[in-house]
Amino acid sequence: MKDLHAKREAVRHPVAEMYARECAAGKLDRREFLTRATALGVAVPAAYGLLGLAAPEAHAQEPQMGGTLRMQMAIKAQRDPRTWDWSELANACRGWLEYLVDYQRDGSLQPVLLESWEASDDATTYTLHVRPGVTWNNGDPFTASDVAHNIERWCDASVEGNSMASRMGSLMENDAMREGAVEVVDDLTVRLNLSSPDIALIVSMADYPAAVVHPSFTGDDPVANPIGTGPYLPVSYDPGIGAVVERNPDHTWWNEGNGAYLDRIEFIDLGTDPASWIAAAEAGEIDLNYQAQGDIIDIFDAIGYPRSEAVTAATIAVRFNQDNAPYDNKDVRLALQKAVNNAIVLELGYNDLGIVAENHHVCPIHPEYAELPPIEADAAAAMARLEEAGHATTEFELISIDEPWQAETCDAVAAQMRDAGINITRTILPGATFWNDWTKYPFSATEWNMRPLGVQVLNLAYRTGGAWNETAFSNEEFDSLLDEANGIADADARREVMARIETIMQEEGVLIQPYWRSIFRNAAENVHGAEMHPTFVVDYVKYWKS
Amino acid sequence: MLLFLLRRIGLMLVTALCLTFVVFALTNMPAKLETLAKTQAGSRMSDAEVTSWLERNGYAEPMLVRYGEWLGVMPGWVRVDADGSVTGRCVALRGTDDAAGERCGLLQGDWGFSTRFRAEVSDVIAARLGATGLLMMWVLIVMVPMALIVGVLAGMREGSRTDRTLSTFAIASTATPEYVSGVLFIALLASSTVGISPILAEWGWIDGRVLFQGNARSAIEDITLSNFTLPVLTIALYGMGYVARITRASMTEVMTQQYIRTARLKGVAFSKIVLRHALRNALIAPFTVIMLQIPWLLNGVVISEVLFSYPGFGWTLYEAAVNNDIELLLAASVVAVVVVLVTQLISDIGYVYLNPRIRIS
Repeated sequence: MKDLHAKREAVRHPVAEMYARECAAGKLDRREFLTRATALGVAVPAAYGLLGLAAPEAHAQEPQMGGTLRMQMAIKAQRDPRTWDWSELANACRGWLEYLVDYQRDGSLQPVLLESWEASDDATTYTLHVRPGVTWNNGDPFTASDVAHNIERWCDASVEGNSMASRMGSLMENDAMREGAVEVVDDLTVRLNLSSPDIALIVSMADYPAAVVHPSFTGDDPVANPIGTGPYLPVSYDPGIGAVVERNPDHTWWNEGNGAYLDRIEFIDLGTDPASWIAAAEAGEIDLNYQAQGDIIDIFDAIGYPRSEAVTAATIAVRFNQDNAPYDNKDVRLALQKAVNNAIVLELGYNDLGIVAENHHVCPIHPEYAELPPIEADAAAAMARLEEAGHATTEFELISIDEPWQAETCDAVAAQMRDAGINITRTILPGATFWNDWTKYPFSATEWNMRPLGVQVLNLAYRTGGAWNETAFSNEEFDSLLDEANGIADADARREVMARIETIMQEEGVLIQPYWRSIFRNAAENVHGAEMHPTFVVDYVKYWKS
Repeated sequence: MLLFLLRRIGLMLVTALCLTFVVFALTNMPAKLETLAKTQAGSRMSDAEVTSWLERNGYAEPMLVRYGEWLGVMPGWVRVDADGSVTGRCVALRGTDDAAGERCGLLQGDWGFSTRFRAEVSDVIAARLGATGLLMMWVLIVMVPMALIVGVLAGMREGSRTDRTLSTFAIASTATPEYVSGVLFIALLASSTVGISPILAEWGWIDGRVLFQGNARSAIEDITLSNFTLPVLTIALYGMGYVARITRASMTEVMTQQYIRTARLKGVAFSKIVLRHALRNALIAPFTVIMLQIPWLLNGVVISEVLFSYPGFGWTLYEAAVNNDIELLLAASVVAVVVVLVTQLISDIGYVYLNPRIRIS
């Protein structure tokens, strides 16, 4: 990879250099540094270089070519990539649909279809350099206009369920791409002119719905007409049953030699019951699972499928909906929050497989995380506050989905409230009905996957009218601070704003956010490169078997 | 006889109509349609997006009208967008704009489109029924002879030690539902850490890690002893006990008949009495029960197919129900009605041949 970036290594970014100094001074850990520096356009080896380190050599062993990999993964009916709502939909297509950039396990950004990018110092202009020599598998060259076309697709908010539109706000106007927002400078260069600074723009392009499609792509089935830039092609795709992908013999992949080791990948959809995944593993029908949770991780360990772990900013939000009484009352929310000790929830609800969170949905691994004074649970104070608010005898209901770890987490939350003398019942809904009203339940728990930057989830979930605002939280000061934070490329400066944002989240009692999850995958010992990824990426192009 | 057949077919049609209407009404409740929209176009859509999706895909019309469309008595919905593109029920099913406004429902042979599997319902049902047919065949091959042998052995000498032992076994097996026996079998026979597989592997009696596979997904491509034994055994054992009990009851009754006593007094060998004189009469009742057991097995098939992830009819029914796949569920109900009534018909007709005293008028 090194030669590909050699040209860019000379490029220095003032903010990135500042980050490097912070990192050297111990103010930043290495993962934070990599996320921030590469988001600003510094190539990975150059970012490591800023630290005075050589980029780690990923492969201690030489990958072996050939073989068939069988993976347990849900196969859902396909649809237009920009409307994907499950990482599995993206993962199945990763063999032929590639991304402009990839988010790596170590928190860095890896250029894929872009060779590099630069941000202006105020993060309002980005220059994207398209990787030369990339072709689509139908023979067309991949050019800057393809990039522009995809950005235009992402900006089209009139498409139902297009979640990319919520990430491209700074390039949009009236539910579509703003005139002049994207300039095709030449065949290999695109310039993005943002209406407001957006530090998350490039990271957003690594998100799973940002798969790059051919200009001829329409409709909602990327499997039926699989034109892409990647080295594989789909052979079959049956929702609920499985999918098969094979190496494409008629296409010269731009990154030949650095991937596409496997001949064939079979995804097997074994339903949602982990017991049948175990049965399949015992029978030697699968080489790895998609994600194991709770006791299942240990069972897989025991039958010879060792685990791999990814520390993430994924979490569970046990949130109140402020459109529903009595949760419109701040005192009620704060009282309920006060009754819960997050460390106990982590222990009982998630077997201590993570780190304790602080009810503001910004994770210590996010670059702009600001440390606040620790929060303390106090059952007596909680009940006293509830009595004051006149809700001492009110019956509360906490809703969760039937997935074990989420149900157990909510049980642990409810049990602590009960210990404090609060009258609370639990309701568990099956997955098929739960998602109908997930934004509207008065008091329920929602699983949130991680985003690389702290501001990203806040934009989606807590801003007034945000696409996935399930708390009905609407706070003018919060919104304007968030706008401010979105435009500060300097993480230290942003952290000052962030401290205030986090404090508002806590003061308003928006949610009980007990812990950050680590996630796990179990794979047979002869499977390599398939370690769990913090954003559930299954980049099977890089997997290999010995 | 002809009248009897016609009446039966008429009954079948009325039942199917009623059942499908109930299923249609239940799957078309507003909340269910919302589920459908969200599973189809994004689980995190807003209400406005859901409404517009339902409208664009023909779900906004009154329910009775859409039921009529599904039956094929009403013309399918048509929608012409601002840019002149035509969408509609028949357009999607037939793949041509000319079909807009035609009728395309059950009466025309169009079973509709499965939203879960993104394929024609008829293709899905055909493929899945085929898979379940294989499973059922093996279940019957295992279950029927086993049940008859156990029943006849137990019933030929009522109250004997053999009778008590076999009856206990039969009662135990029929009292254990599939979701219990299936899990027990997996734990005992298909785990490399508990049960007997680790012991066998240690002794070197089996090559792999487990004796049988606790997952029958690979049986779709290739049925082997290893991957098919457990699902077959799970379903067969449950039905076996019941049929054996009926056979035993019928056998004991026959064995007390006058003509059997006469034969014994004449000195005919016991085995000959059982095989030649008692068996045919004793099999009338079990025959009916076996036929009625087939639709009952469809129940068990749902549980065991899901448990062993074998994509057959029961598994499809489960998936369709969980994902609110309206047209697939309707087709599955029609199939279920047909299976129930056809097996009843066969049992009624078969009865006539087995028992000369009965006539169908």
